[in-house]
Amino acid sequence: MTTLEPAKPTVVVDSRGTMCPGPITDLFRAYRNANIGDTIELLATDPAAKSDVQAWTRRSGNELLAIIDEKDHVRIQVRILRKGR
Amino acid sequence: MRLPVNIVVAGGGTGGTLTANLLAKHLASEISDKEVNVFLVSGARQHVFQPGYLEVAFKGKDPSKITRNEKDLVGRRVQFVQEDAERIDLKERIVKLESGKNLSFDYLVIATGSVPNPEAIPGLKEGSLNFHTSGAESRKVWDALQQFEQGHLVVGIAGVPHKCPPSPDEAAFLVDDYLRARKVREKVKLTFVTPYPRPYPAEPMSKVVEPRFEERGIEVVTFFNVESVEPTKREVYSLEGETVHYDLLIMVPPHRGADVVIKSDIGDRDGWVPTDKNTMRVDGFETVYAIGDATNIPVSKTGVTAHLEAVVAVHNIVSSVHGTSERYKYNGRINCPFEMGSRKAAFVVGSYEMPVKQIQPTRMRYAMKKAFGRFYWRTLSGRWDWLLGLYFGETYKVEKTKAIPANAKEGVAQSVAGVLGALLGYSPTLQPRAFVSKRLQKNHELHGRNFDIRGSF
Repeated sequence: MTTLEPAKPTVVVDSRGTMCPGPITDLFRAYRNANIGDTIELLATDPAAKSDVQAWTRRSGNELLAIIDEKDHVRIQVRILRKGR
Repeated sequence: MRLPVNIVVAGGGTGGTLTANLLAKHLASEISDKEVNVFLVSGARQHVFQPGYLEVAFKGKDPSKITRNEKDLVGRRVQFVQEDAERIDLKERIVKLESGKNLSFDYLVIATGSVPNPEAIPGLKEGSLNFHTSGAESRKVWDALQQFEQGHLVVGIAGVPHKCPPSPDEAAFLVDDYLRARKVREKVKLTFVTPYPRPYPAEPMSKVVEPRFEERGIEVVTFFNVESVEPTKREVYSLEGETVHYDLLIMVPPHRGADVVIKSDIGDRDGWVPTDKNTMRVDGFETVYAIGDATNIPVSKTGVTAHLEAVVAVHNIVSSVHGTSERYKYNGRINCPFEMGSRKAAFVVGSYEMPVKQIQPTRMRYAMKKAFGRFYWRTLSGRWDWLLGLYFGETYKVEKTKAIPANAKEGVAQSVAGVLGALLGYSPTLQPRAFVSKRLQKNHELHGRNFDIRGSF
């Protein structure tokens, strides 16, 4: 999924240089502190980050807004729609 | 009279104890000549071999068997300050102790570890047992398991990050072993909950774990970030909106940085110290290092990584004190023992450049894990690093950098020393300690600091 105009993130999580499970761990830490409606942008170099975040958004009911391939990393944007009971 | 160089190590866990002992080993002559002081600051009287918590919780081991007196592990050249650091001022280069005394430093190693933080999740402390906070808490797990006859037993990860990534999976395997040995396994539903997409976070090792969980009938609930626990209902809830009922809940709590890091405002939001992942130097401070769980670097929080990082920090400090141009860089090597039940174990092995490998559990690796456990106390002395080096292979790289003299005069002196050294056939890097000491002295004169801490301590 790629959008031409990425959303403005509420928080940017820079996980570049970390390997699995670094990016998804960093995303979860941001998720714990996020509010409904926030957009988290995850920057990652680990190739597993895309599929892990895709699977998590499908399972959790949060929205995968965009996956943007940059030259040496990927930007993954997630909008928080669901958190807790 | 030349004033001594003060090296302070804050924290007496695996990394801190080893760091102090290694520094004392490599700077033995300077310490004897009263040119260097090595201080270990730690209020802990007891040193716990924390991987042993698994044995206490799931095999009934006596907690006293995994504990020794810290003072017995500290070398004679190390000045052991048996109280905790209350506050660290990196700019003023002062460690304030609980007693109110100040300890000034030229070099500092922050080895203050991590703190299990069950309070971060509502109801977790009251509703679950854990094997990460102490021997006594681990013993409660063993006591509860002995009473457990039937029902739903849930093991898992309550939050990230946490110490020892394999330990939650190890717990599930060992609970399964124990219940089978008691012949009550068929009356117990065993579930493993994890925030990760798979039973083990790193996929290559998850492929090893997954079929073994299936064989043993251990159910897995993925993407389960614990939001809260309701002890009265015996329910655990996830941020993702799911609910799991339990009869016995054994959870690894999320961890945070040490109180002193948070109070001193030298860490990030969760108290992890921003650290260069190669040199182990704290961002923005030339002579301050952080190692082990205390850092924010992207490797497992384990004793092995603390050990390997300690070696790098020590070499960099010794190199700086000696004025050599060698700089050591940690390569992110991890080597976590991973017990998978039935007296078999694997290791989680990887580095910054090498993704985690897939390694199968064997009896031999189990024996190695046990041997490492017995060998642990000796490794803290730093005298066995040659042997560990043979096992681990390359864990850091050594780079030669151009030494930067404190002033032009010293630069000329070093150049002359280099030429003389080349003519006489010795390495000039062995000689310039005097330059460094003078340089440090000059630094202190410039900053107007009291260089002799004995006046204030």
